[in-house]
Amino acid sequence: MTQYIVRRTIQAVPVLFLISVVSFVLMLQAPGGPAAQFNQNPHISTAQINKWLQDWCLVRQPTLADTIREYLGWLGVWNCSGGSFLSAHGLPNFLPPFLGGGTNGVVHGDFGYSIETGRPVLSMILERLPATIILMGTAFLLWATIAILAGVIAAVKRYSFFDQSVTFVSYVFYSLPTFWLGLILIFIFGVTLRWFPVQGIVNVRQAAAPFGTPAYWAAFAANPLPNIWDIAAHLVLPVATLIAVSIAGDSRFVRSAMLDSLHQDYVRTARAKGIPERQVILRHAFRNALLPILTNLALEIAFLFSGAIVTETVFSWPGMGRLYYEGVNARDYFLLMGILLIGSVLVVFMNLVADIAYAIADPRIRYN
Amino acid sequence: MPHLPQTPGEPPPPDVLLDVRDLRTYFHVMDGTVPAVDGVSFQVRRGETLGVVGESGCGKSVTALTIMRLIETPPGEIVSGEIWFDGRDVLQLSQDEMLQVRGAEMAMIFQEPMTSLNPVLTVGDQIVEAVVAHKKLSRKAAWDRAIEMLRLVGIPEAPRRARQYPHEMSGGMRQRVMIALALSCDPKLLIADEPTTALDVTIQAQILELIRRVQAETGTALLLITHDLGVVAETVQRVVVMYAGKVVETGSVQEVLQDPKHPYTEGLLASIPSKGMRGTRLNVIKGSVPNPFRMPVGCRFHPRCPYAFDPCPDHEPPLDELGRPERRVACWLHTTPPFGLEHRPRYGTATPLPVARAAAAEQVP
Amino acid sequence: MAIPTDPALAGGLAGRAPADVATADVEVALESLGQWQLAWRRFKRHRMALVGLGFFSFMVLVAIFGPIVLPYNPLNIPGAQQPGGDPPSLQHLFGTDDTGRDVFTMVVNGARISVAVGGFSMLIAGMVGVLVGAISGYFGGWIDNVLMRIVDTFFAIPLLFVILVAARFFGEGQVSSLILIFGLLSWPLIARLVRASFLSLREADFVEAARAVGVKDARITFRHILPNAIGPVIVAMTLIMASNIVLEAFVSYLNFGISPDQTSWGNALANAQSALGLGNWWWAFFPGMAIAVTVMSINFVGDGLRDALDPRTRL
Repeated sequence: MTQYIVRRTIQAVPVLFLISVVSFVLMLQAPGGPAAQFNQNPHISTAQINKWLQDWCLVRQPTLADTIREYLGWLGVWNCSGGSFLSAHGLPNFLPPFLGGGTNGVVHGDFGYSIETGRPVLSMILERLPATIILMGTAFLLWATIAILAGVIAAVKRYSFFDQSVTFVSYVFYSLPTFWLGLILIFIFGVTLRWFPVQGIVNVRQAAAPFGTPAYWAAFAANPLPNIWDIAAHLVLPVATLIAVSIAGDSRFVRSAMLDSLHQDYVRTARAKGIPERQVILRHAFRNALLPILTNLALEIAFLFSGAIVTETVFSWPGMGRLYYEGVNARDYFLLMGILLIGSVLVVFMNLVADIAYAIADPRIRYN
Repeated sequence: MPHLPQTPGEPPPPDVLLDVRDLRTYFHVMDGTVPAVDGVSFQVRRGETLGVVGESGCGKSVTALTIMRLIETPPGEIVSGEIWFDGRDVLQLSQDEMLQVRGAEMAMIFQEPMTSLNPVLTVGDQIVEAVVAHKKLSRKAAWDRAIEMLRLVGIPEAPRRARQYPHEMSGGMRQRVMIALALSCDPKLLIADEPTTALDVTIQAQILELIRRVQAETGTALLLITHDLGVVAETVQRVVVMYAGKVVETGSVQEVLQDPKHPYTEGLLASIPSKGMRGTRLNVIKGSVPNPFRMPVGCRFHPRCPYAFDPCPDHEPPLDELGRPERRVACWLHTTPPFGLEHRPRYGTATPLPVARAAAAEQVP
Repeated sequence: MAIPTDPALAGGLAGRAPADVATADVEVALESLGQWQLAWRRFKRHRMALVGLGFFSFMVLVAIFGPIVLPYNPLNIPGAQQPGGDPPSLQHLFGTDDTGRDVFTMVVNGARISVAVGGFSMLIAGMVGVLVGAISGYFGGWIDNVLMRIVDTFFAIPLLFVILVAARFFGEGQVSSLILIFGLLSWPLIARLVRASFLSLREADFVEAARAVGVKDARITFRHILPNAIGPVIVAMTLIMASNIVLEAFVSYLNFGISPDQTSWGNALANAQSALGLGNWWWAFFPGMAIAVTVMSINFVGDGLRDALDPRTRL
């Protein structure tokens, strides 16, 4: 298994490299070069700009060699002030600071400044992270649970009314544009029935402070229940929008994986043993169907991020997806670079986690 | 030993362990209905070995799965029949009652050892599961039982092997595990569906020998399903020959192999190469297995039969006795045709069988 | 082959009768029909796929001729009688938006750009994907390695992140640029499928045989392997077309796509959200339904094609 995980990790390295190149190239697209973008922004001082230019080795008219050095400095492998791969402590620059590495570049969390606000990109992203984690975490849990339950039951009770309904409903929902479904849900449940709020993560008139600020969390800690209730009410429509389309596709996938598994010889062997049907289905059929299901879930992690952009823009949810949309609108190159990089690296990382989960679930990999 | 005097709904005599009566299992699929098993009857006595022989697709595996009640419904349907097993008709049992029979009193070995074991559970756990379900033993005791069974089927280092997964074992080893699994709850009947077909020739002999040995040691009855007449000759006492979902001939192994009465059995035997046949053309049955959606009317073998004559395309021959109840054949050559039809074989007039056989060999391209 | 008796298949849903010895015989009987005739027969059995094909063809006709026939100019702003726009009436079948523009006209005119973006980007994706997959699968080695790591990268970066940036920064509201962007970003799925087919077919007996008698590499690729890989590719292309129609709509809804002086379904939806609060559901509903029904019919066609062309999932 170690060998398998090492191989998957090594395979991820060129992917991470290509992701970093894409992000870097995106940043270089800024008209007039990165530095020029800040001249009109009063939020950021000349001293800050100069220090940051220095940290990333940015020059105004780069040659090819300059560009490569810019890339390495931006990445954090190259120590721009020292002009070498070693940090001021004489150790490789890419190591974290507490191990004697440098402090510049994206590997050290230095994503530069937002053109729009002049604030560090990383702190802007971190500020938006809780909202996105709440939304995507809830959505992912519900999505996986419902899709697996519906798919497994449909497969076990094949051709039943339940099976036909699942198939029909998934066909319909699978074809709906997510953002449009959001609009329709807003109209039905927000505007007409007024059951759920349609905007944001908290009720701005009742909350003590804007979501995510220290004052908000202080109020949250003092009186958690109504605040949780408030967030839950705001979650309903965005989560429903986010998962409806995905569940439609995945319940069909789970159903066919489970049907495949139910027709395997070892399920017949299990039945021939005379063990209860529940045990046949869970311990034999489902346990094996879980393997393709895990692979499929891993593949769709990237999809979840895309889905977050859609729902967060439609429902004005103050998360990373909404931040990305604002960044595209304002052509905020550094912000976009930061989110793209962090999002993609997270996807690669979660795929690795899924690979490990797969290896644990499948003894043919675990012991080879 | 089919068609002993029997009344529908009445159990067979106590020395008969399994009594299958006029069993019909059909499959309803998109393109129509397939009568995979269409009126099959036979009996197995306690401790006895019965061989069921036929080409692939003749319904012998479906018969076995029907006895185990493992036919998936839909598309399968057990249309009619009785399966008396140890004094009960298993077709009348509820699913819960069947759980107590399946795996405990009758057990089955499948053809494909490579895919018949669950890849994500250790082989020991797979045996323990059956033992715990039927023997009311603790997990510890069940594990000991599993290791004992693995020893019985000749797996070396059984305690270590029990903790392995199927993919860590060879095909022959996995089939040994399947046998250990099947015998773990001391079944009265063991059904072996082509147990050696997927294995290497050298391993085949070992597994057959193992099956014979454990059967002698445990005293279980054996229903051996195979297309391999060599396996039949070595292992079984009595034979049932099936063609296109029907029984066409029964008898002791000597009677059927040395003096086949049905042209199909004869063709099967003639298609085995042997030493004495060096230099002669290998005999094969002409044509192919009938389309299950369009079974031939009359005798189902008549389109391929070298002796087919007037009654064959229109009238289905009954499975009639040849002297004694256990020796039967379903063929108009051996039964008086109905409606006053005479014996008028198409190929030669009332030719004696050996001569007809030679003539048939000439005609085969 | 007989009309399906299976209830799920008759409804065109995903049910499949279990493989059985019986079907093998029927397949043999049809072997003489030729690959494409056989595929068409299987496709026709899938009733919903036929309905989907019918509706999609209708949509294409609407896209071509609709704008010529309709009386309203989608860009003409007559002003609405009610603040949120006028509800559906005989004069405006689908109502009007808040400025009085006819929603029915928007839907009909929008079909042109939406279907064009979906269709042409699908063709680009198909061509690039087949080319990359074929090169990767046929040559293997380091070429394969490099190309597949690029494909992996495409799958790691959330597609919508890239599409939004590309559409906003390079799209310039032009239909042709958007087609190019969608096409060039959606080929990796095809490349993976083609490569996988190549890996399994490269060792197949008929390819070995062709190689043994001295057939050249390029000829083996295009005459022997590609035709066998084409089934899954066509199915994947329908999926890409459906998803690109939805993506175009979303990008235009955010005002990053087609410029406002042209009409696509996404453009029609761009400001509809603001009118929802005023009770105007029709402005958001009808263009969205047009997308949903078109995408659904493409998905049905894709399903029918999978049954017809992909031998692995046959029956």
